[in-house]
Amino acid sequence: MFAGKRLSKELAKMQGHLPPGITFAKSDNLEEWQMDIRVLDDNPLYQNQIYRLKFTFSQKYPIEPPEVQFISLPASHETPRPIPIHPHIYSNGIICLDLLSTAGWSPVQTVESVCMSIQSMLTANTRDERPPGDSDFVSYNKRRPRDINFQYDDDNV
Amino acid sequence: MNLEELLLVESSCTDDEIVDLRALDYVSGYDTHLMCPICHCALIRPVRLQCDHVFCQKCLSSAVTSSSSTDDFTCPTCRTPTQTVYTDVPRLLINMCDDLRVKCPFLAEGCMEVMARGHVESHVDKYCGYKLLDCPSETCDKKTRKKDLDSDGKCVHELLQCSHCEEEVMEQDYEDHLNKSCLRFETMCPHCQVMTLQKDLGDHIDICPDAIHSCTASKYGCPVKIKRADIAMHEQACPLIAMGPYFEAQNSRLNSLELTMRHLQQRNEIFEDGFANIRSTLVDASRVLPGQNNRDLPAEGPPGSSDSQEMSNDGSSQSNNPTTYLLFLHESLREEVGQLSHAITDLDARASMAIMNECLRIKEDMAHTNTAVNSIRMQVQWLMNPRLHQGQRTSNVRTNDTNDSGTGQLGSSTASTTSASPISGPSNTSRPGLRPRRLSDSAREGTKL
Repeated sequence: MFAGKRLSKELAKMQGHLPPGITFAKSDNLEEWQMDIRVLDDNPLYQNQIYRLKFTFSQKYPIEPPEVQFISLPASHETPRPIPIHPHIYSNGIICLDLLSTAGWSPVQTVESVCMSIQSMLTANTRDERPPGDSDFVSYNKRRPRDINFQYDDDNV
Repeated sequence: MNLEELLLVESSCTDDEIVDLRALDYVSGYDTHLMCPICHCALIRPVRLQCDHVFCQKCLSSAVTSSSSTDDFTCPTCRTPTQTVYTDVPRLLINMCDDLRVKCPFLAEGCMEVMARGHVESHVDKYCGYKLLDCPSETCDKKTRKKDLDSDGKCVHELLQCSHCEEEVMEQDYEDHLNKSCLRFETMCPHCQVMTLQKDLGDHIDICPDAIHSCTASKYGCPVKIKRADIAMHEQACPLIAMGPYFEAQNSRLNSLELTMRHLQQRNEIFEDGFANIRSTLVDASRVLPGQNNRDLPAEGPPGSSDSQEMSNDGSSQSNNPTTYLLFLHESLREEVGQLSHAITDLDARASMAIMNECLRIKEDMAHTNTAVNSIRMQVQWLMNPRLHQGQRTSNVRTNDTNDSGTGQLGSSTASTTSASPISGPSNTSRPGLRPRRLSDSAREGTKL
């Protein structure tokens, strides 16, 4: 539908002005973007780290949510990108955030607003831990993030 | 309407769009408030939710379609549960969106038109010559521009062989081919008679040595027009070219002077306006002030002669001595206040006199009424007397009381109208039949009668 049109509009707007701590890493096509985000305050968990988010857009964006997850680049890479530690982020980069599920998504969200949500989700966190059952989830999950039925039971973080 | 109706309306009107307004190329940016938060285009057929958030009708209906059920649909912006869609979006919003300048959707075909978005549909429908239409020939499935369409319905997509380069081109592109891309079609330069390719003719004329060219000083009046090859020689000798830089400098000076002149003129106009304003306020002021004096004069009345003299002095001296004038004004106002207080006391006295008179009259009336009432009471008493006597006589028969003293007492009490108490002493308990009569007797006349 109008996914391409809408994405190119978003791209044009964001190239003019990006919120602090958010930069483009890759946006050469209209199916997959990569964004680098950085936590703005001095939260010791994420200090001096840059994380990379991968957005995958379907043809029905923005009616359907994009798939958003962290990706890691090895430490040997010229721009190493780890997966941030957070009780809602699995070590394979999958983010448990209701905003990104089909139920919690709203078509008025943009790449920019999603980035800012994740940024503030990291900023507010104080717990140095992975979600419960992280290793099982990481080794057995073959589903796409959008289809996983997360239980959004923690409103604190 | 509710959400189901919205979906119905939307599905029924998806096909009849002439132009996809979302695909339009906007000439300038637009305010983000005019932007549908879903498609990020300027709002197209906007609809409003209860929470006052506005979306394109199409965007909202696709958001509704994607939600799990229409019953728990929430506003995409604020997540307020909503069931009703309003089409009465403020006219202002629609007008602002329809007023945005867009390029014709057939820009790629060559239409350079720029128009308000609200006019795109009619432009494309009726006026745009570059609109692509189906070829009139039934066997041909290509599109053709509206302006290229022959009235006789001939297909212009048949391939013609170029007479020069043997390339096959479609009829509609034939002229373009000759003028721009044919590699064989040669034509003669009108100046130097050299054969060149038609597509290069323009470039050739720019450099052709035989093309007639005017002297670069022609703008300063050099009338010479000669071939390009000779122009260099002429320019060396042309006196006007030598003076060129001087002319340039003069021109720029003239321009700057003109500019400053215009500035000064504008300032001058502003000053003139200001002067006119000041003058008019002055005239108004001088007209108002003497007018006040004249109005004061007849109201002054008795104090007369000295004041009027002062006034005439005042008229002449007011402009140079405003304090005197103000003092005079103060004085006259004080007098006026004095007069007013006089008038008020006078009115007061008159009012109290009138009230007194009224009071007297009413008092007299009351006295008259009193006497009339008294006489009526006496007559009633007189009429009642025989019955009283009768009653007393019968009781006297029963109690053997003295008849004379009872009647005598009754008579005196009625005549004096002071009190009926003497009769109550002996007969109060023994004669219940007389009780109501005695009540009316003993009561004061004003109230009971």
